[in-house]
Amino acid sequence: MSEYDLAVVGGGPAGAAAAIEAAGLGLRCLLFDEGSDAGGQVYRPPAFAAATGGPDAAAGAALRAGLAGSAVERAFGHRVWFAGPAAEAAGFELQAVGPEGNRRVTARALLAAAGTSERVFPCAGWTLPGVTGLAAATILLKSQKVLPGRRVVVAGCGPLLPLVAVGILELGGAVAALVDLNGPADWLAALPGLAARPDLALRGLGWLARLRRAGVPLYTRWGVRAVSGREAVEAVEIGPVEADWRPSRQRPALRIEADALCLGHGLLPASELTRLLGAAHAYRPEAGGWLPVLDEAGRTSLPLLYAAGDGARLLGAGAAPLAGRLAALAAARDLGRLSEAAFAQRAAPLRRRLRRAARFGTAMARLCTPRPGLVEGLGADAVACRCEELTRGELGAAIAAGAGSLAALKAATRCGMGPCGGRLCNATAHALLAAAGRSAAEIGAPSARPPLRPVPLAALTGSFDYADVPIRELSPR
Amino acid sequence: MTVPGPGRRLRFTFDGVSLEAIAGQSVAAALWAAGFRALARAPRSGAPRGPFCAMGVCQDCLLLVDGVAVESCRVAVREGLVVERPERPA
Amino acid sequence: MSGAGSEGRTWDAAVIGGGIMGAATAIRLGLGGLRVVLLEAGALGMGASGVNAGTLSLQIKRARLMPYALRGHALWRAAGERVGFHQTGGLTLAFTEQEAAVLTERMTERREAGAPIELIAPGRVRALAPRLSDRVLLASWCPVDGYANSSLTGSYYRAALREAGVELREGRRVERVVREARGYRLEAPGASLSARRLVLAAGAWSGRLAAGLGCPLPVHARVNTVSVTTRMPRLVDCIVGHATGLLTLKQSDNGSVLIGGGWQGRGDPDRGPGAVVAESLLTNLRLAQYALPDLARARLLRSWTGYEAHVPDFYPLAGALPGLEEAYVLACVRGGYTIGPYIGRLLGDLILGREPELPLFDPGRFAAPETRSRREEEERVDGDERPIG
Repeated sequence: MSEYDLAVVGGGPAGAAAAIEAAGLGLRCLLFDEGSDAGGQVYRPPAFAAATGGPDAAAGAALRAGLAGSAVERAFGHRVWFAGPAAEAAGFELQAVGPEGNRRVTARALLAAAGTSERVFPCAGWTLPGVTGLAAATILLKSQKVLPGRRVVVAGCGPLLPLVAVGILELGGAVAALVDLNGPADWLAALPGLAARPDLALRGLGWLARLRRAGVPLYTRWGVRAVSGREAVEAVEIGPVEADWRPSRQRPALRIEADALCLGHGLLPASELTRLLGAAHAYRPEAGGWLPVLDEAGRTSLPLLYAAGDGARLLGAGAAPLAGRLAALAAARDLGRLSEAAFAQRAAPLRRRLRRAARFGTAMARLCTPRPGLVEGLGADAVACRCEELTRGELGAAIAAGAGSLAALKAATRCGMGPCGGRLCNATAHALLAAAGRSAAEIGAPSARPPLRPVPLAALTGSFDYADVPIRELSPR
Repeated sequence: MTVPGPGRRLRFTFDGVSLEAIAGQSVAAALWAAGFRALARAPRSGAPRGPFCAMGVCQDCLLLVDGVAVESCRVAVREGLVVERPERPA
Repeated sequence: MSGAGSEGRTWDAAVIGGGIMGAATAIRLGLGGLRVVLLEAGALGMGASGVNAGTLSLQIKRARLMPYALRGHALWRAAGERVGFHQTGGLTLAFTEQEAAVLTERMTERREAGAPIELIAPGRVRALAPRLSDRVLLASWCPVDGYANSSLTGSYYRAALREAGVELREGRRVERVVREARGYRLEAPGASLSARRLVLAAGAWSGRLAAGLGCPLPVHARVNTVSVTTRMPRLVDCIVGHATGLLTLKQSDNGSVLIGGGWQGRGDPDRGPGAVVAESLLTNLRLAQYALPDLARARLLRSWTGYEAHVPDFYPLAGALPGLEEAYVLACVRGGYTIGPYIGRLLGDLILGREPELPLFDPGRFAAPETRSRREEEERVDGDERPIG
């Protein structure tokens, strides 16, 4: 028999809400997260007293309090590295490296709520120290109270741009330029979605006013051309872009002295767990890329496997707990712990609220839907795969020689084979293959393999004697 | 570039240099604040690399923390922690 | 032109399967003057040929296959940088008396079969690879052993197929093969074509295709696990194995350590890709760390599996399909990464009507009902020359 009814991987707003809901329904529930407490990236637990304040902090505190008051068993500081069908019981086997070493658990149902990493498309010089992601900058600013630099260029697309810029000002740094790939028309198109969350929309307007007051130069429909410096960022070259985000040829570029660049192009759902388990996935660029195919309650194509939150599709932090709770209800229903009527009654209001909350998150995600010019306009010498230090030119040559899928490109060049597991280059590789005329079906979803993230080998092997290694008795040949 | 404020101060060493951090800060953030941004080297060119993602993905902040190779953005500073750059790969 | 398929032409030969076996055969046929089409369900060289640990070791080849392995080895060396060939020498380790006895027996036999293998004492092991475990009791050493980068299989053969004038079609999963008056019709979703000659080189899927032609073959699949660590400082220069064959280990130029040994994952070729089994992987890692203690400081980056096909006697299927005209199979070659490029040439020669340099392995030996159980056969070769890796 499985030890748990439900294991939840990821303690962000989706996973934590799901775990609380599941435990409330009487399910034995285990919640894994790498961090020291629940909250995920968006409601990251504050590192220290100075790093508190703001509406996100309050939401995070409420989440953690709810969890503390629940029957959920928490496994923080654990990196889940393996998932598969359990050999001894119906359900799943998970393995996670934590403070006490490697831990194996079984659960009848599994919810993937692993959140996102950040998508950053390359530019020349983006590997210099001092270039960070926008999400990285929010972590430095919000939970660490560290400035990315003294004079920072903030560039890319989406709602993190003003958030990071304001955060820099609040900590006493200077924003040398705010460079947005989107223009006013793109933001206007997002307005109907923004109206779903007037509180957040007002917060955004407040940020813009703050930036204007501080005299931060704002460049819309502009992008980063190159970063330069010897040992670290010294200057950032920016210039206007075309509608497809290709560098515009007509107008001159601008060189800005800066010691840091915060660059980001939206969030990347962490769908490794559902891909590892072999659930069906579909390519949905507007919702983050390769995503598990889900029903309205978060059921994947595999029995008793669920996904919720931004790791399943980019609907935002407002929608995440609702999706998480729905998935928990579905799990309880599928495990026979909730009647169909009770499920329907509880799920209906959640679904309504989810649809509304999702409008805002979807509008934000659409501001970051990749456009082809961003990668097509990339110079041949720019590094496209950071881990293996492969240039766009090298990847282009392999594609021209016949590599027509992510897997073939990876085999031919090592793109995506490095320690980031392809999280920082798959979107670029996908865009380059698409530019060469390959369809999403041909390109394929990135493969997910254990360990889901690198883990110390010694933590896996533990202490053992040679006699413990089950080498089968040798037979004569 | 840490903002001065409340928080207990801790000391740790980085490649033998004694540094100060605020309790709760990650090793990577404390190093960043102390002016150490280049923590790793690119595999082919040997060019400097620094923390990029701050969420344990990019591996450009991988350091030996008390002898174990970890993403330094995922580890909080503790008093007396010994942090080193790892030996360069083959 | 008779028997034309929907394409309106008949190929001289159609090869199903774009691994080393199929590609090497197709190239031989193309260079021999035939018009050849190669159909691959996925992408070229992405099956077992592209995901194995790349070990090129004569120490894990059975004596009867040694002449093939020696020649295959020479072909990999000639391919050189294009396949990431490295001749590093190879050590095989024994930690117990029993392992030492087995090592002695097997390596003696393999040396007699032509491999330059010698048994060496622990002192010499320390000189060759000072960071290996100090618990080695006895080892064998083969100076020509090495490895290649199996990831490059696809790009290497893509170029070679082009040069040989072979038409390559990727993403074409042949669902059915039908006999025609003069040849065969191959049906893949959305396309079908005809060819006078047929070669099944579809690895673990070859059995099913042969069965469809009324020629059942006892093809089974193993699910081999391979792992790689993040980059490490230089730990070991040569490839390393274990007397049981349950470990292969090598450190690439870039510092990452590749670990294999045929530890079993789970999967069924007819039901999709295989998957890693954690307990199996952990055992593999423990054995690797025992052999090379510094691995304790490594980080595991990725583990994966590949299907390796075999028949009950663990010798290749290489030759004409019994009872069919101009239909051939090349699969189930244990140690196929090393041997593949060579045995593909041999089959090509057979099809072209030339006398192969070395004898092939008649699939007809399985035409009669299996007299011995599969289990019995597997036990007979247990521990010997584990699959890929």
